[in-house]
Amino acid sequence: MEGKNQISNEQIKALLITTVIGVGILSLPSDVAMILDTGGWVAIVISGLLIIPFIIIINELFKMYPGKSFFQIGEEVINPVVFNLFLGIVLLYIVVSLSYGIRVFAEVIKAYLLETTPTEVIIITMLVAISYIARSQIEVVARMAVMIYPIIIGFIIFLVLVNLPHMDYTNIYPIFNINYKGIPKGIFTTFFSYTGYEILILTFHLSEDRDKSLKYSLRGLFTVMGIYLIIFFITLSQYGIFQLKREIWPSIAIVKEVDLPGYFLENLDGIVMAAWVMVVYGTMGPFLYSSGIVLSNVLKTKIHEVFIPFFLPIIYIIALLPDNLVQVDEIIGPTLNYLALTSIFIIPTIIFISAYIKRRKKA
Amino acid sequence: MRKGILIILCLSIFFLVGCWDKVEVDQRAFVSSMGIDLNDKDKMNRFIVTYEYPNINAIGKNATEDTKTFVVSTPSSSIFQAGRKFTTSVAFPFYYKHAKVVVLGEDLANEGKLVREIIDELNRDTKINKKIQILVSEGKAIDILRANIKQDQTTDGIIYTALKGTNNASRFIPQTLMEMIKDADYSGVTLVPKIAKRGKEVVISGGCVMKDYQHIAWIGEKESRSLSLINGKTKSDTIDVPYKDSIVSYAITDVSSTKDVRIDEEIIVDIPIKIEGYLQGYIEGDDRTVYDDEVLKDMEKVIEKFMKKEIERTLKLIQDEYNADLIGIGEDLSKFHHRKWNKIKDRWDEIFPEVKFNVSVDAKIRRTGLIK
Repeated sequence: MEGKNQISNEQIKALLITTVIGVGILSLPSDVAMILDTGGWVAIVISGLLIIPFIIIINELFKMYPGKSFFQIGEEVINPVVFNLFLGIVLLYIVVSLSYGIRVFAEVIKAYLLETTPTEVIIITMLVAISYIARSQIEVVARMAVMIYPIIIGFIIFLVLVNLPHMDYTNIYPIFNINYKGIPKGIFTTFFSYTGYEILILTFHLSEDRDKSLKYSLRGLFTVMGIYLIIFFITLSQYGIFQLKREIWPSIAIVKEVDLPGYFLENLDGIVMAAWVMVVYGTMGPFLYSSGIVLSNVLKTKIHEVFIPFFLPIIYIIALLPDNLVQVDEIIGPTLNYLALTSIFIIPTIIFISAYIKRRKKA
Repeated sequence: MRKGILIILCLSIFFLVGCWDKVEVDQRAFVSSMGIDLNDKDKMNRFIVTYEYPNINAIGKNATEDTKTFVVSTPSSSIFQAGRKFTTSVAFPFYYKHAKVVVLGEDLANEGKLVREIIDELNRDTKINKKIQILVSEGKAIDILRANIKQDQTTDGIIYTALKGTNNASRFIPQTLMEMIKDADYSGVTLVPKIAKRGKEVVISGGCVMKDYQHIAWIGEKESRSLSLINGKTKSDTIDVPYKDSIVSYAITDVSSTKDVRIDEEIIVDIPIKIEGYLQGYIEGDDRTVYDDEVLKDMEKVIEKFMKKEIERTLKLIQDEYNADLIGIGEDLSKFHHRKWNKIKDRWDEIFPEVKFNVSVDAKIRRTGLIK
């Protein structure tokens, strides 16, 4: 299993991009605009740059223990009980994150495409679909990511092309009007648009060419940042700052602004939604996969497939707990932020520091 | 085992029937235009909402019916509430995805708060295309839509076709829902084309100045043309200018204009407008020809002077009489002079009439047609 289960750096990059870009991209422009107005791009850039140290930490960690998985390293460097506790938090984070994502996904689909379909049906369909990919090996998940990656790029290029003729680029001014007090809050918001990069934890040690993995994953991170910036500037120039703040999902809504000569290009939201479903699939698949992997490591088994169905009802129930979209954003959103902060920023750092100290002691 | 799988696969047919609640296209009523009038602002049914929708059965070669479009109207509390009310009288459900035109009645336009409610409703709806055209009617909107069907040739209705026409003269400036919201966000003022009933026909000309979504004044075709020139929205137009003892018709083919806002002691705006065009009509005679550079230069000067006067008159009108920043000076300030704008934006209504304008028109006659 170990021998065949290797992935290339190109796959790592694709996996990083598809996992990071998910439901968040729809509301990101309006979220940052709420806090930082036209200076919102600063928050996107800064939080992207802040992710780099964490990627380097993960890379260094695997460099210290070549060939070992994150779980083996964790058990070696810290108390197994504490480590399992950490994994419990990580599991909670993954499950809540999936629930949040799938609920927002269902709401968007309901608003734009399937008005009369019950939310439950949309959620169950998506859960069944992602559990298929999540039961596969990492190599298969990575291959799926490589297939979805061009769809994301195509989606962005399509958005740019159809919006260019009617864009009023002066709307992005004042571009350097930065409210310095708002920046921490803005970063806190955009930071979580980059969650999903932790998929690297599960893939780095399986890389075919370990030395170049870091380079490829940083390249992936910059691609994500670029995509976020493009989306921010397009929505801003299409809407102007006031209407951008008003929109809930500006990235999808801008295609309704498209009005090209000739009738066939009108009401494009259907096409964009179709592409977006793939994008969400590319996020949720790896997430559900990692939940299975984490649980299998907690229970010390070698197979993760059997645990996937176990998560589905939990995700389903949490996804349906909030009454409406506002509650989703007000209750699950902040909870998720704190869980993410702990499980993908703090825990890897703790493990890295303990591993580093342990190394020093040995030497 | 295999049989079991086969049976399950066969059973799945029941779940794969696909279009569960599909509605055939001739069973749908596609609303193409909507008209909203004020009914009684104190009652629940504040509006009189009118829908116009094409008769699908009357379209195409093998049309089975004659009536091209239907117009229905009802008192209602909102635009979409009306759609529910019509279910008692109209057989098919309404679809709003292809709605192209919204006409606001004059009485309604005078009520800023109600207009804002309507705009919010349109902006919030997921089906409405945000590029929908907005107009304000002189008189009742319902009369406009009723008159519209008489001269209807296309499924979209005359209004939309006229608004979208690429070679429309700048007698009016089309306004979409999103542009209207943007204008109101940035400067609080917006210009919406005016539609009126003349005899049996509907005519779109001039515009309605709305401040905070409330109608404050009508402007005519000439003012509309000037504003269109300042904002660089003119695509083509023909201007008649008195020259010596006759009239020169000058057809505009291209306009480029910019606004340079400077802040010194006061706000000064330079508006250089460059126009290109050709000669459309002039009297030919023995003693006169236009195939002479000096004559053309002279004509250009007269045209420039004439247009400059017209534009300056319009600017004076919007500054002094309406106090409506229809040319986006406030928007320009907020984008490029952000700090100063923050200081003055609360007093913008007082400052705007004091803004100094330097208009310069540069007209070029590029062609004289086929004869000298």
